[in-house]
Amino acid sequence: MSAHHHNENDFLFKYIFSTDHKMISKQFLITGFTMGFIGLVMSTLFRLQLGWPGESFEIVELLMGSWQEGGVMAPDKYLALVTMHGTIMVFFLLTAGLSGTFSNLLIPLQIGARDMASGFLNMLSYWFFFVSSVIMLISLFVEGGAASAGWTIYPPLSALPEAIPGSGAGMTLWLVSMAIFIVSSLLGSLNYIVTILNLRTKGMSMTRLPLTIWAFLITAILGVLSFPVLLSAALLLVMDRSFGTSFYLSDIYIGGQVLDHTGGSPILFEHLFWFLGHPEVYIVLLPALGITSEIVSTMSRKPIFGYRAMIGSMMAIGFLSFIVWGHHMFLTGMNPFLGAVFTFTTLLIAIPSAVKVFNYITTLWKGNIVFSPAALFSVGLVSTFITGGVTGLILGNSALDINVHDTYFVIGHFHIVMGLSAIFGMFAGVYHWFPKMFGRMMNNKLGNLHFWTTIICAYGVFFPMHFLGLAGVPRRYYTNSEFPMFDNMVDINEFISMFAVLALFAQLVFMFNFIYSAFRGPRAPQNPWKGTTLEWTTPVEHFHGNWYGDIPEVHRWPYDYSKVDANGEYVTGEDYIPQTTPLGEGEKDGGH
Amino acid sequence: MENINYKEEIKKKTSKPLLWIAIMSIVMFFAGLTSAVVVSQGGGSFLDVPMPTAFTISTFVIIASSLSFHYGLISIKKGKFGIAKLCVLVTLILSFVFIASQWMGWTYLYENGIFAVGSASTSSSSFLYLLTALHIAHLVGGIVSLLVVFFKLNKNKYSTEKYLGVQVSITYWHFLGGLWVYLYLFFMYIIA
Ligand code: HEM
Ligand SMILES: [Cu+2]
Repeated sequence: MSAHHHNENDFLFKYIFSTDHKMISKQFLITGFTMGFIGLVMSTLFRLQLGWPGESFEIVELLMGSWQEGGVMAPDKYLALVTMHGTIMVFFLLTAGLSGTFSNLLIPLQIGARDMASGFLNMLSYWFFFVSSVIMLISLFVEGGAASAGWTIYPPLSALPEAIPGSGAGMTLWLVSMAIFIVSSLLGSLNYIVTILNLRTKGMSMTRLPLTIWAFLITAILGVLSFPVLLSAALLLVMDRSFGTSFYLSDIYIGGQVLDHTGGSPILFEHLFWFLGHPEVYIVLLPALGITSEIVSTMSRKPIFGYRAMIGSMMAIGFLSFIVWGHHMFLTGMNPFLGAVFTFTTLLIAIPSAVKVFNYITTLWKGNIVFSPAALFSVGLVSTFITGGVTGLILGNSALDINVHDTYFVIGHFHIVMGLSAIFGMFAGVYHWFPKMFGRMMNNKLGNLHFWTTIICAYGVFFPMHFLGLAGVPRRYYTNSEFPMFDNMVDINEFISMFAVLALFAQLVFMFNFIYSAFRGPRAPQNPWKGTTLEWTTPVEHFHGNWYGDIPEVHRWPYDYSKVDANGEYVTGEDYIPQTTPLGEGEKDGGH
Repeated sequence: MENINYKEEIKKKTSKPLLWIAIMSIVMFFAGLTSAVVVSQGGGSFLDVPMPTAFTISTFVIIASSLSFHYGLISIKKGKFGIAKLCVLVTLILSFVFIASQWMGWTYLYENGIFAVGSASTSSSSFLYLLTALHIAHLVGGIVSLLVVFFKLNKNKYSTEKYLGVQVSITYWHFLGGLWVYLYLFFMYIIA
């Protein structure tokens, strides 16, 4: 470690412009959670409108001012909030927040590296993310309001600045913010991949990597392959908006005026967008799945079932995710044969997904489970991954999807399978690695309370949405009270909104626990969960370089829990064997 | 403590892989754009445009620049730094010739009524300008790295053992050449 020189720059370089992966990880976590909380409040606000349409909420007016004149949300603000909510949740919380936090924290620590391949690029990655977050938030306050074309920003709403209020400055800032975000994401992924491939400590072969690392690796590969395509889509959009090209526009009228655009097609945008969009679902999900693998094994004190199958299934999911994007476009008039192809590839994903679920359950089966909050959230993920995945089979099927496309059925489906699974994985990760990040323990009782209220509210919000969708209630509508055929849906909507409000309060419990524990929690021991992986061999206090002296060498796979010898005794006298313990005589390494 | 020098070592191990992954991203970026061209063509009103001969010249120029840079690297490995300097200089000059030839290509297109933007443009004409411009944007990065190599050569920063920076720079440069050849063929056979 370089010498401890004390000057006023210390603070700046330690906390702000840090190049240490552990600090960057915390920066990502805090920024991501802040954005996530804002996104959550937005959803609660528009849920008030959906549950009690037209009703006045004075507290809300206090908070939002002219956004909600008379305590009722204006229709254009509704659209803006839905768009911002989706964008923030998917990209800022669950892409940058999730990957940024855990890839940064765990990659060097678990593979045995002193830092990322490039600490500088890593710092840039965070700062680009921060700037893009700020711009995205500022876009709420520009004339015309934030982008309002939905998080998928389909043209023409996004391509013609004069289309709707949110198509103007708000949309421009959305694009600027996302372009910066993409750069941040690419820099991050670049670093993650190269670090994993090149900086593993001695003995850490690819098949001795914890499954978290495999998940982060595949996630990062998906990122570097798919985000550039979104960037190209955004670039063409900017050209159409500002320079009068016609990539996405053709034969368009606005206010009775013919516009000067020929030859383009909005369907092109959908292709480019969903070529990113679907892998993005797995960019959000895979880190959560990796975290779950790790926690499920540690907390059930059993080796992960099917280590190789877990890696194989993640690879299969990663590969397949690039050839299914058409399932978002069944209604664009695509050739039915092509629709059938996309149906087929989409349904194929069910196989590796089922393998993962099976392996989680088999690992937990007859395990000596420690129900820490992390374990609970992991099991929660297994639950939502199943309930959300099942409706994916329906949506992936072109013949069925046509009936429920763009309804609340879709909202229910993706919130459960992607939103909840990923956020549960993220919570699990925070509870599990909090001691590593902050050197203190979180409160278990509050953690349990957080888990149970969250999962009950989550199902309370999203499960009934399937019925709304089957009844034909469309998504992105400001109100459904104008349509007589939805009159009998009022109660369901109220029910959902009550749970949504409650869910918000449940997160306050987490927030309190997080902040309080970071400063006042009991001091963490070095290895609180009796884990086998390398991060628990580092000292509790943080410093650049991670290990004093040499980096430890690795001798075995990461899942030697409850391993017994021929006499049925624990080999080391404990129910876990760290990866740094050499193999005994005649002992076989796991994972084969 | 031992940690002092780990940064140097990390850099050694990771410079090339970092570049390769970045190249993968750039490939996907252009793959996205060129498949956008293909998808747009399916839409019907896609106009054919004649190819400027200047683009053919560009192709030869960029291949020549790759060759001269390559010879430069070989010279460094052999310790002939004088020749290496000359080669890198030639590469630099060729890169500017390349940009000039692109400019000529655009002028030709423009004079033939093929516009980048505006009401007289079509998506194929816009794509033609956009793709070439984006290639040049990436080329600028390559030129910067060439300049760095050139100055370091002049300051005798490389030796017959130590030339990692040159290798990184040359890999990117060859990639840019390959990218142009791909775009050129794509223009010839898909757009024109
Ligand atoms: C308790 C928390 C949440 C609630 C109550 C909630 C509620 C909603 C509702 C009701 C909509 C549909 C609005 C409409 O179509 O008019 C929506 C849209 C959306 N939500 Fe959430 N959500 C929550 C959390 C999340 C999370 C964690 C994610 C992360 C994946 C997420 C991502 C999205 C996306 C992508 C959209 C689509 C936006 C669009 O249509 O452009 N949400 N949310
Ligand atoms: Cu999809």
